[in-house]
Amino acid sequence: MSGAADFESLLKEALSPVEPPEDLTQRLETSLQRINQLAVDELEKWELESLADPRNWTRIARPIAAGVVAAGAGTGLVLLARSRSAKKTALERVLKR
Amino acid sequence: MAATKPKEQLDDEFSALYQAHLKDVYSYAYYRVGNHHDAEDLTTQTFIQAYRHFERAQRESDGRPLRPWLIRIAHNLAANHYRNRSRRPQTNIDDTTMLSALHTTEDLVEGRDELKRILEGVEQLSGDRREALIMRFALGMDNREIARALGRTDGATKVLLHRAVKQLEGIVRGDEKEEAE
Repeated sequence: MSGAADFESLLKEALSPVEPPEDLTQRLETSLQRINQLAVDELEKWELESLADPRNWTRIARPIAAGVVAAGAGTGLVLLARSRSAKKTALERVLKR
Repeated sequence: MAATKPKEQLDDEFSALYQAHLKDVYSYAYYRVGNHHDAEDLTTQTFIQAYRHFERAQRESDGRPLRPWLIRIAHNLAANHYRNRSRRPQTNIDDTTMLSALHTTEDLVEGRDELKRILEGVEQLSGDRREALIMRFALGMDNREIARALGRTDGATKVLLHRAVKQLEGIVRGDEKEEAE
């Protein structure tokens, strides 16, 4: 062996990359699809179980209630703004007289 | 906070990642475990683990290549593989003869004595030195990538590689004692 570069090229030759079996990609994709499907099934099962148990209804209802409250608050603000604007217009009318 | 990507986009990106690095992970696994069966298993487990944490890894990688992350997963799984196997008394595979055995039986070195001696020398190195050489010469990783995969600094990795090559050269030339000291 003549030098460090020669030794490194021999080392590269000795540790050459290894080609994976042709069907490994296919098997890997199948495994990943199976994991995905298991996750979806698990989630669906959990949702159904949650709905079946009345103790979870409050938990499920909470975000819905929050949405209703938020929507209600929004409507309230719009009504309040309209009412203020109506009062202001009535006051202006009185002052103009 | 970064917005979550649609699942289809993540799956496409992951598909591109494993197509690009399947050979790297497989080569690493093969040189670590020493046979095709376990290498396939380790490769599959690595990508399953990677798939689970892919979104987070993408976010945290900050645009850097994900190959060192993949190899690190394979490295940890291989360590667990050996740890679990050492707890089972019925298995009786001699780790120290695996690399040369797989190459001689599968003709990867095509009967070249010099290459065989190099592989036998690689087996005699410590875990980190051997891994660094596999990453550099089988996978073509640069210092920075190897540093990330091994959880070391760039400087420490440069020294590790230099010492690994020097020690191996010493072993192959027959003056192992000199290099080890």
